[in-house]
Amino acid sequence: VSQPKAQRRAAAILLCAIAAAPVDIAGQDTREGIVAAEQAAKAARIAADAAAAAAAPARPPSTLRRAIDFGAKGMLDEPPGFFPFFESAYSGGGFTLGAGYRRFTGDRTNWAVIGLYSIRNYKRFEASLSSPGHAAGRLDVRGLAGWRDATQVRYNGLGIDSPPGKDVAFRMQQAYAGAELTVKPGRRFVVKTGAILEDFTLKDPMGGLTPLEDVHTAVTAPGLGVSPTYLHFGTSAAIDSRPAADYARRGGLYEISHHRYVDTGGTYGFDRLGARVVQHIPILRETWVISLRGQLQTSVDADDQVPYFLMPALGGGNTLRGYNTFRFRDRHSALASGEFRWIVNRMAFDMALFYDTGMVASRIDQLALRDFVSNVGVGARLHTPASTPLRVEVAWGGEGVHLIFGGSAAF
Amino acid sequence: MRTRLRPIGVCGAVGVLLVTAVSGAGPRFLADDPVAREPERQSAAGATIRTIDPTVDLVVNLLAHPGDPDSNALAHNVNTIDEVPDSSWFTNRIVARPMTAQEIGRGPGAGTGPAAGTWTVLSPTSPGGAPGFIVRDTGNRQWSLAFDVKGYPEAATGAVAVASRILWAIGYWQEETHIVTVARDRLMLEPSSSITPPSGKARRMRQDDVDQILRQAHRGPDGSYRAVAVMTPPGRAVGTFRYYGTRQDDPNDVVPHEHRRELRALKVFGAWINLIDLDARHTLDTVITEGDRATIRHYLLIGSALGASAGGPVDFDAGWESLYQRPLARRRLLRLGFVFRPWQTVPYEEHPGLGRFEGHVFDPLTWRPRAPTAAFLSARADDTFWAARRVAAFTREMIEAAAAAGRYSSPEARKLLSDILIVRQGRITAAYLPAVNPLVDFALSADGRLAFRNAAVDASVVPAPPGGYQAAWATFDNATGQAVSIGTTTGPQGGAAPAALPATPGTFVRVEISAVGAAPPAWTMPVGAYFRRNASGWSLVGVERIR
Repeated sequence: VSQPKAQRRAAAILLCAIAAAPVDIAGQDTREGIVAAEQAAKAARIAADAAAAAAAPARPPSTLRRAIDFGAKGMLDEPPGFFPFFESAYSGGGFTLGAGYRRFTGDRTNWAVIGLYSIRNYKRFEASLSSPGHAAGRLDVRGLAGWRDATQVRYNGLGIDSPPGKDVAFRMQQAYAGAELTVKPGRRFVVKTGAILEDFTLKDPMGGLTPLEDVHTAVTAPGLGVSPTYLHFGTSAAIDSRPAADYARRGGLYEISHHRYVDTGGTYGFDRLGARVVQHIPILRETWVISLRGQLQTSVDADDQVPYFLMPALGGGNTLRGYNTFRFRDRHSALASGEFRWIVNRMAFDMALFYDTGMVASRIDQLALRDFVSNVGVGARLHTPASTPLRVEVAWGGEGVHLIFGGSAAF
Repeated sequence: MRTRLRPIGVCGAVGVLLVTAVSGAGPRFLADDPVAREPERQSAAGATIRTIDPTVDLVVNLLAHPGDPDSNALAHNVNTIDEVPDSSWFTNRIVARPMTAQEIGRGPGAGTGPAAGTWTVLSPTSPGGAPGFIVRDTGNRQWSLAFDVKGYPEAATGAVAVASRILWAIGYWQEETHIVTVARDRLMLEPSSSITPPSGKARRMRQDDVDQILRQAHRGPDGSYRAVAVMTPPGRAVGTFRYYGTRQDDPNDVVPHEHRRELRALKVFGAWINLIDLDARHTLDTVITEGDRATIRHYLLIGSALGASAGGPVDFDAGWESLYQRPLARRRLLRLGFVFRPWQTVPYEEHPGLGRFEGHVFDPLTWRPRAPTAAFLSARADDTFWAARRVAAFTREMIEAAAAAGRYSSPEARKLLSDILIVRQGRITAAYLPAVNPLVDFALSADGRLAFRNAAVDASVVPAPPGGYQAAWATFDNATGQAVSIGTTTGPQGGAAPAALPATPGTFVRVEISAVGAAPPAWTMPVGAYFRRNASGWSLVGVERIR
């Protein structure tokens, strides 16, 4: 037995011996005496504890404790040090693990690096410098640079009538660097603007899937064969009355956005307008919540060349949940969702029945309700007061049943 | 005679009963029974800061049901007459001694709040609560200033001021609490003022830090801010306490907290003032040194109370449901949420200064804190009766004095709050006082006249039993616990003692008193009162309410 072990064992034996000793209340014919004897016995145990603690080397936290502490950091907004990171590398990547490291250089200013890796070999690495809370909390500044690799992004062609093939895909690698500003002129009014240099490289897919070039042409996949570099300017303005973006039972979001993609090669530049409305309607003091969403994305100029991989798309866990990710693509998209949510537990657990319907089209005047595709589903969400770390849903669309695991609210 | 008490288990904690002999072989009543003060003879000077993770505490309380699994055990810290002795946890005030409305309106401490002049900001208050500061006044006293949040003037500050006075009058440790008005130019900084920003690196506090915190606070029309100032408790802060188990480094803490009656009784007091934050985060332990003895004093801190929390009105279901109740969650899950509960429709008095508070639908029997504590779950009918008796002792004037301490600008708010508290008081007394045989204040005169009061009748909850009371008299052998009947009498006060009543000093008698005729069922279960004969007469040494 090593010396420290022997010391610890001796201390433990002493401790138990003291604890096991009868509390001597001999001659105690008063209540005070009995209690005082009890307290004296506890004082002796405390002294023995202290002696044992002094003899024993300080024990580092257990692996389980450290794992719990590490996992809990994932619930924080900007945890310092190493932290788990629950996001997607890119839509359709499947189950993803991620982690990051953050260091503060000021009160709130910090730099962070994150890495994500998914079951489909999707990868994302990003370094960012955030400086929130300027101008009395009304201005946030963020700079970022990163790289992602989406190894097998499905492509079914253009339009709402595109066939539901499953094995045609492309691989998209994207390097990006830029800066974003978020301004909050009022409590509910949010303006965001940013400029990002985005360099795309398109390749053949991994996973034994059929390369796009084998099936499609530049007509059915505009921009096929090119790997453009964009200067992407984005601006949005929103009135946001939700208590939190990633979990809300009341309030709404009314947002318009404009994105300009300037192709450094000059061919594939385009402008896109977006509008998004989200409204949560609580019923009977949030016993139930009706959540509604409407979303429109439109490519502004009919003459602009929008490459296939940047076209508005529907399908997947955040849009048409009963269809594959990026199932439908075209120059314009419209989406509407409705959820009937019942609050099983106000602290942590919601259920929802939902309905999504949407359409893509090459011309905006072709977006007609009669052509919308739709799905229904049921979902369970584990949530915190401000976030939805786990969303599990089953959706039924026209192309089968889809199981969805998400790490954020659907909308 | 030697009496020995063995600890439970090899290294287990030992529970102490202040009420019964610790060994079956010992006498039932000891020489100093009933004790009026819990002995605390060991020094707790070695206690160190103990941090209880609030999330872990919440989850454990919600899911694990910690503490003694025997939820029907008599409280361990009551004395032989079924009362709670004074201690570092509790000081008997209302019921135990006459109190005035003025005294309750003034609350703990004799001061009038932070001294006039500038206040030095030492740090912000803890994140997660109301915006506020720790300040030092010109009298060198330290205060916690907590402001109302934007949009809800007077709600949180008023609730703390009112609830604190009520808890203090009941007997809990509270510190001086005052409503104050803070002008920005009264707040000064000093080199040691510190703040810990999101980076986690503490630094010297700046003026813009003060301004940023004030921006979260409700600003009055004159540019000032209303705050509740709570004096920092004396002594060395050593963390918080749980509502189960004992503090490992406090030698005087030998009663598991779930078996402390004053903590169990928060089931009733909490229901009255809607004190939904019953958890370790809302407690404070400080080491108090008096002379050569250091003890740990246990404070209750007020988070959400009445209808308000630090962030505004309490949730609609606050007090109606805990954060997690498995049967309810299961039913909601399977029925698409179609499970109806009173909070969904209760007409709250939504006065902006009061938050969500009401009394007419309030049911004390179903009231729940956010997370039920082990002490809450261990409360028995005698614990809730003990508490309800104290609630009943508050007169309208006392309640109005407590409400006035909230310094609500609207007289309607003050009146509304008083009215709601009185309605809730009535519901509590109606629920808990008749639930056991409610006889109290037993006395036996030297010439054998028995006297007692009926707490439920005194509170006008139930009429006196028309047939009076029956008293079964017996001599009691304190050494063996054997009782020998000496007769039964009946009358409005149980009648006069039988002629066989002994008169020898040192003898004991037991009188078991029950109601006769139409009365609540529990009243037919006799309450046992034990008297010891002294040279001057009989003194009460024991009360046995539930067997």
